[in-house]
Formats: sequence, structure tokens, C-alpha cells
Amino acid sequence: MEFSYNAMIPKKAVFLVADYKRKQNVAIVNYVRVYHKRRLLIMICAFLLILILLMGRLTYLMVFQADHFGVLAQEIQERERSIKAERGRIFDRNGVELASNKPVCTISVIYNQVKEPDKVIEILVRELELDREYVEKRVRKKSSREKIKSNVEKEIADKIRTYDLDGVMVDEDYKRFYPYSSLASKVIGFTGSDNQGIIGLEVAYDKKLQGQNGVIYTLTTAKGIEIKNVAERRQEPVPGNDLYTSLDVNIQEYAWQAAKKVREEKNAKNVKVIVLNPQNGEIYAMVNEPEFDANNPYTLIEQENTDKLTDKEKNDLLNTMWRNACISDTYEPGSTFKIITATAALEEGKVSLKDSFYCPGFKLVEDRTIRCHKTIGHGAESFKEGIMNSCNPVFMEIGERTGVNGMYKWFKNLGLTEKTGIDVPGEANSIMHKKENVGAVELATMSFGQSFQITPLQLIRAVSAVVNGGNLITPHFGVKIENRDKTKIKNLEYKVKKDALSKETSETMKMLLEAVVAEGGGNKAYIEGYSIGGKTATSEKLPRSSNKYISSFIGFAPADNPKILAILLIDEPEGIYYGGTIAAPVVRGIFENILPYVGIEQQYISKENEKPQ
Amino acid sequence: MAGRRKQRKQEKVVFYDYGLLFIILFLVGFGLIMIYSTSYYSATIHKNGDSMYYLKRQGLLAMVGIVAMLLISKMDYRWVLKPIPRTKIPWVVFIYLVAVVLQTYVLFFGIELNGAKRWIGLGPLGTFQPSDLSKAAVILMIAFMVNQKPRALDSLKGFITIAIPVGILLMLIAIENMSTAIVVGLILMFMCYIASRKLWYFLLMGAAGGGLGALYILLGEGFRMERIQIWLNVETHEKGGQILQGLYAIASGGAFGKGLGQSMQKLGYVPEAQNDMIFSIICEELGMFGAFAIMLVFILLFWHILQIAMNAPDLFGGMLCSGVLVHVASQVLLNIAVVTNSIPSTGVALPFISYGGTSVMILLAEMGIVLSVSNRIR
Repeated sequence: MEFSYNAMIPKKAVFLVADYKRKQNVAIVNYVRVYHKRRLLIMICAFLLILILLMGRLTYLMVFQADHFGVLAQEIQERERSIKAERGRIFDRNGVELASNKPVCTISVIYNQVKEPDKVIEILVRELELDREYVEKRVRKKSSREKIKSNVEKEIADKIRTYDLDGVMVDEDYKRFYPYSSLASKVIGFTGSDNQGIIGLEVAYDKKLQGQNGVIYTLTTAKGIEIKNVAERRQEPVPGNDLYTSLDVNIQEYAWQAAKKVREEKNAKNVKVIVLNPQNGEIYAMVNEPEFDANNPYTLIEQENTDKLTDKEKNDLLNTMWRNACISDTYEPGSTFKIITATAALEEGKVSLKDSFYCPGFKLVEDRTIRCHKTIGHGAESFKEGIMNSCNPVFMEIGERTGVNGMYKWFKNLGLTEKTGIDVPGEANSIMHKKENVGAVELATMSFGQSFQITPLQLIRAVSAVVNGGNLITPHFGVKIENRDKTKIKNLEYKVKKDALSKETSETMKMLLEAVVAEGGGNKAYIEGYSIGGKTATSEKLPRSSNKYISSFIGFAPADNPKILAILLIDEPEGIYYGGTIAAPVVRGIFENILPYVGIEQQYISKENEKPQ
Repeated sequence: MAGRRKQRKQEKVVFYDYGLLFIILFLVGFGLIMIYSTSYYSATIHKNGDSMYYLKRQGLLAMVGIVAMLLISKMDYRWVLKPIPRTKIPWVVFIYLVAVVLQTYVLFFGIELNGAKRWIGLGPLGTFQPSDLSKAAVILMIAFMVNQKPRALDSLKGFITIAIPVGILLMLIAIENMSTAIVVGLILMFMCYIASRKLWYFLLMGAAGGGLGALYILLGEGFRMERIQIWLNVETHEKGGQILQGLYAIASGGAFGKGLGQSMQKLGYVPEAQNDMIFSIICEELGMFGAFAIMLVFILLFWHILQIAMNAPDLFGGMLCSGVLVHVASQVLLNIAVVTNSIPSTGVALPFISYGGTSVMILLAEMGIVLSVSNRIR
């Protein structure tokens, strides 16, 4: 113990070892010791330098890489659970729900959270009424999440919830629901399993109707178990926009009932009705009887032995069933097209009300004899009588006068060479002769509505222009789009081609067509106290030898200022097939119901007095 | 004479580095908190719901270690230089031989975990990792040999006489445990560097060590090469998982961390978060400042050991403290470097904090020696 206490850092380098006996080594030890100190300091400096570099590395990772690795970390730690947004609803013009949603649930299992698989299987089989094997396979499948059943009624889902089974997830969802199930089904359409539109308005307005799904971000452990009692990030869902349509449930219902009745009576293949406002193109009703059940769109109607069908056959049948024939199917319009021929002739100045004609029951066109439907002929008649009689030779005559160019000009002006632009998908265009291929025979047949095809919608659009004073409207359903809290309202606008024809011609045509109903071939559509205009048609389907017909009637009221325009087509009626006999009364029935409903007054006294006999 | 003697007695104030003791206790305590924080989730899952499983084991061994440390610190560290009674073999050589025997034993009868045979089963007491003992034995052995011939390291012959016995143990370790071999190699290298007056030995050793290491990686088992691949492509390499998850943890800590116990990555994303990867969870929970604070505590620890090493009453004590300093510092640096993906991954525990009973006990025993040296400073 030769040296004294020297605090922590000695002033002198004296570190002699007490029991170091070899005196001669003391000097060496001292010498070595100085080296030790220096080397120790160099070493510690190296360590500190490395530590500082590591601190720099840490700073880089924690500050500058935080966005990169930090975000990646969050991604693996969070499980996204989407909250389904409610799809926008579809309303009729009076705010009646045509398509809405009902809350349903999706039941799924998370494999590694299931603690009592047997109990889970038993309860799910019982409550969901599923096949035991099916449930067992899914519950025992090693996957992160297995869906057992979707579209489960809320009551059943709530019941499953009360069992409080580990690993069984009940997620709320919405299912599209159509309160009127079959009403206007081919117009409104339906949605698929992901709530996406499949046909009809549901497709046309799909983007607007679809909401924005919300997300719940839940933190999970590496095994995917959600951590409870941790604030979860949440993004609320935004429900889809509501669509207000021009459809009117009552008019649709009347029209549908009438269509159903006549289809049954005539054992027809199908019956189509369109009712619209010719002034602005708002469609009040569009019936394609038979309609399907929009709540069960994959159930074939009027079809037996569906089990025997192959998938392709079934698919084809479904597509046929969903088809909106009013806009997708073309037909030869027949005599209703005489409205167009007359309009073209009047506009071109090739005919006037004073002109008189003679019908011998046929007309010779080049080498062909084309018959009138009244084979003995109408005899001498005025232009007005020609329309009232629906006399083919009269129209062949004025068609000839108007000529190919004149006729095609008016087909174009009245929108018959283009799609109408209606706001549902699947619209067909007309099938016409090429203008340069039209000879005298073609021209003659076209002037009474044969040898070309148009859709009922194209015809009703053209006739709208004829009776509304000359504006070519765009027939449509969508009126406005509103968000759920009605803070954003968008009124939908449609193209109108003003003055497609002159007001005078329009007035003349209304008068002529009123006469058709009042005294001519459309008299079965006449309703006491109302002024109704219209035109009947009986089109023979191709091939002509099949003896199949489409009986139709197009009518409007009031005749002087039409607010309602309707077209009705009976496809392949059995028995009597004349449009004037079977189609006109149906429209009459519809008008009887809807004219008072839309506020068109019956004019008893004046009409009673004015009407001859 | 009497007066002088009295004066001497008054001057004979015994020094004891309480600061160092406090730092050690702080680190052990902090380590226990972090072990609980990082392990309760996996303990709950894998140990029958006993969330304190790892904490209890580590806590018990830490208590034993602390008691041992205090006892050793009150003993004269020079007793290891004394021969075993009735033999001429000093205790330090005996300890070294025991380490060699255990290190050999573990190669044949060790328990294999995660593809490496590193543990000796002790029945109900758990497992013992001889490589931790080997580190301490190497420090003792080198200090002993340097003390015997202080000038030996000035010549190549003297260096070889030290390198051969240490090299034998080093080879035995390296067969199964690359990371410990690196630490032992660093201890050998730095202790010789401190004890030698010739720099070129150090350079030679560094080059030889580096060359051997490279050969080991190239010729040894394929997974070591793979680790370099992982290091270079941590985000894309399919086996980069553990390191990448550690980086996720570090990066999501931010400046002040998510708060103690709030780590997400410990919930199974970072496997065995209480072990070598514990520093990444410290970063996540305590943030950059928390991590820096812990690194500063380690710097303080190094400083204390350095002071004791420089003021040691004899060469043996000085060399012992230097060895312990190299041991602790190299593990801290290697661990943080691995966790931050600064170097290819190798399994080095963070001293005092990572879970591992043998490791913490041996470290505490080494600290006992350092404290014992400090206690001899007059």
C-alpha cells in the first residue's frame, strides 16, 4: 500500500501494484500503463464514433424513413373492414320508392379465432338452414376468412350474434329491394351480388347510385386477431345518390294491368306499352308484359322444367326475360307509320286536306299490285278520309309524291334514323333500306309502314314531335339526382330538337288523328267527353306466311294539346288481330283510368253537344 | 511512526464506484420492464396465459446475478490468480478449461433451438449457454497471461502464446455460434491491442481475423452468405422478415415513441421481440429520444469502466476491466447495428436488456469484477 487515494482520475500515472514483487518490472509496468491509457482512449473513441454513426442511422430510420417503413408497418398491422355504403334509391315522380335497400348480413368465420368449431358448425347449420357438409368444410378450412352465407335476414343474423361465438363474424350489408317487385322490372332493372346494376336504370345510373364504401381500419396482431379497446380509424360510408324518375307507379300499374289482361285474353306472346308526356319526353310508364320479379331476377317466369336446361340455355332465356322489348326490339310499324308519311307529305307540300283520292282496293306499282286492307276498295275519299280509313293506296300515292328523298329527309328529321337517346341501356336502332336501293315498290310499302323496322320507342318519339308542335324530344326516365341529405340536387336535362316540323302541320295532324279516333278506324279508343287522337296498326310479322301479327295503337289526349301519348303493341294475338279492334280498346281503358288521374278534365257538355248523332 | 500510521489509516479511504453500480441496476431494471413489455403478448399465447413468464425467469436470474455481482465486488479479484489448493494450476486456468469442456460438450449434447446447438439443459433450472461463460473466461485468461508477461505482446512469439489457447476456444464457439465468436474475437483483438506496444500486431490480427471471418462465411454454412443477401435487400428478400419487421418497429416509433407498452410490432410481427430484437421495440415504444437515452446510459457505463480500467491498481485489474469494456461495448454496437440493418444480421444480445438468463448473470458477474477492481483503487 505504497500510494494514496487519487480520486477517479489520478494526477500522476502512478498505479503501482502493491504486491507486485519484482521491483525491476515496476518501470516496465508504468511504461505499459501509459500505453494502456492511450490505447484505451483510442478504443473508446472508436466505439463512440460507431455509436454516433448508429445514432445517425437511427435518426435516418425514425425520421426520414418513418413515412416509408412506418406506413408499411401500419399496412401490415391494420385490417381493413369495409362498411358497405347504401345504394341510392330510385323513386317515381311522386316520391314513391321503386328500389330501396333492406339491411341484411353476411356471416363469415375466421379460422384461427374459432374456439369451438363443433358448436359453431351446429349453430350455423341450424340457423342458416345450410347443408352440414358445406358448413363443416368452410369452418374447418384454414383461411383467414371464409364466407358462409350472405344476404342473411337481419333477424337471423341478430340471433346468431346473441350466441356470441368466437370467430364468427356478422357483417352488415344491404340488399337491393324492389317494393313493387315486378312493376316496370325491365325498366328499373336489378343489381348483382356486389350491388352493381345489371340491367335497366340500375345500370344506366350505376355510378350515381353507388355510394362510397366506408372503411374501418382495425389493428390486428400478426395472427390477425383484432386488438380490442384500441381507437380504430374509420372512414364513414357515403350512401349513393337517389334517382327520381318520371315513372308514375299508378300509371304504370294501370298500363300493366291492362296489358296483362289483354295478353291473357288474346293469349299473346307479349304486350308492350309506353306512356309518355309528348311535350317533354318524360316516360310515365313502360310495360313489357310478362314482367319478371326484380327481387328474384334469376327465376325464370312461365317456364317449366328449368332443371333440364343447360347453363347456356338458361342464360339465354334469362337474357330474353330481362330484355326491354320496347326499346330493344324492332318491328314493322304498319299503319301507325302513316302518321309519319302524312307528316312528310304535308311538310313537303305534296298533299293538302283538299286533295281527293280514289281507292280501287289496290295500287299498281311498277309490275306489282299492292292491295289495300279493304280489298273491295274505299272508293273516292278525301285525304282526311284516307287517314281515317287507313287506306293504303292513298298513302302509296302521297308517298310517291313525296319521293324517296322527301321521305328519308323526314325520317331523319323525326329521329327515325337514330337511337332516341333514352337513359336506359340496350336501345336498338331502326333497320331501313339504303336510300339508293329504294325503288318504287319499296317506297310504296314504306309509306304504309312495311319493309323496314323501327322500335316502338322511336315511333312514339317521332309521333311526339308530330303532336307537340314540332319539337323532337328525348324520351327519358331520369328527372333528377339527389344526394341523401338533399343538399345536392342535379336536374337532368335532355336534348330537344326544336321545330323539327312546322306548327301548322302539327295542328293538321292532331286534327286528322282526332278524326281517326272520333270517326275512323280508331273509334274503339274513343272516350266520351275526351278529345283523343290516335292511329291503329296491324302489322303482319315476317315471314308473311306465318300469319302472325302485331296489333298496335298509338293514341294521345287531349287531342288539341296532348299531355299523354301512349303506344300499345300486342305481339302475336290469337283470334281477331286487328289493331283497331283489340289494341285501341286497351288504350282506351288505360286512358279512362289515367286521364282523370293526370288532371285532364272530361268535357261533358261541350263534347256531348258537338258530337254528331 | 504511530502518528504516521494513523494518518495513513485516515488516507486509506476505500473507493467503490457507486455510480457504476447505479447504472448497472438501472439497465437491469429497465431491461426487465422492456422484457415484460415485449414478451407479455407472446407469453400469454405460448406460456398458457402466464404473461409474466419471461419477466419472472429473467427477474429471478437478474436477482441472483446482482447478489453474485455484489459478492464478487467485495472479493479481491486477484484470488483467481492463486493456484487451486494442492495443485499449481491457477483458478483462472481452471475456469478457462471448464469453458473449453462445456463448449465441447455443447457441440455433442447441446439442445438445438432454431437450428443451432448452443444450450446445455439443466433440467428444471432451464438452460445454460456456455458461450456466455466462454466470453468471461477469455477475458480472465487474456488478462492473466498479459499479467504474467507484460512485455510478451511486444513480440510475435508472445502473441502466439496468447492467441493459441484463446483460438482453440474461439474455434469451438465459432462452429455453432458466429455472433459469440465475433465478440470473443473482438475481445482478443482489443485486449492485445491495449496490452501491446506494437501497432502492427493489431493490424496483423485484424487482417487475420477479417480473412478468417471471410473464409468462414464463404466456406461455412450457406445461411451466412444468405444473411449478407438479406442485409443488402432487406425489403425484397423473402427471408428479410425479422429484420424488416424490426425496421418497421423502429420507423413507427417517431421522435417520442408510441408510449411504453404500446408497440404494435411486438404482437407477433417481430418474432421473439424480447430477445435480440428488443432494441427495435424500445425504439417503437420510447421513440428516438428514448433510444438515444439508452445509448447514452451505455456510454456512461463505458466511461465508468474505462475510468476504472485506467486507474486500476494493477495490470491484471486494468486488463480485466478493458476486456469487460470491449465485451459490453462490442455487444451494444453489434446489437444496434444489426437491429438497424447497418450490418448483416447476427444474433447478439443487447447487454443487460435482452432476455437471456446466462447472459445477464455472466455480465453481472463481470461487473462484479469491475466493481471489485474499483474497490481496490486507493
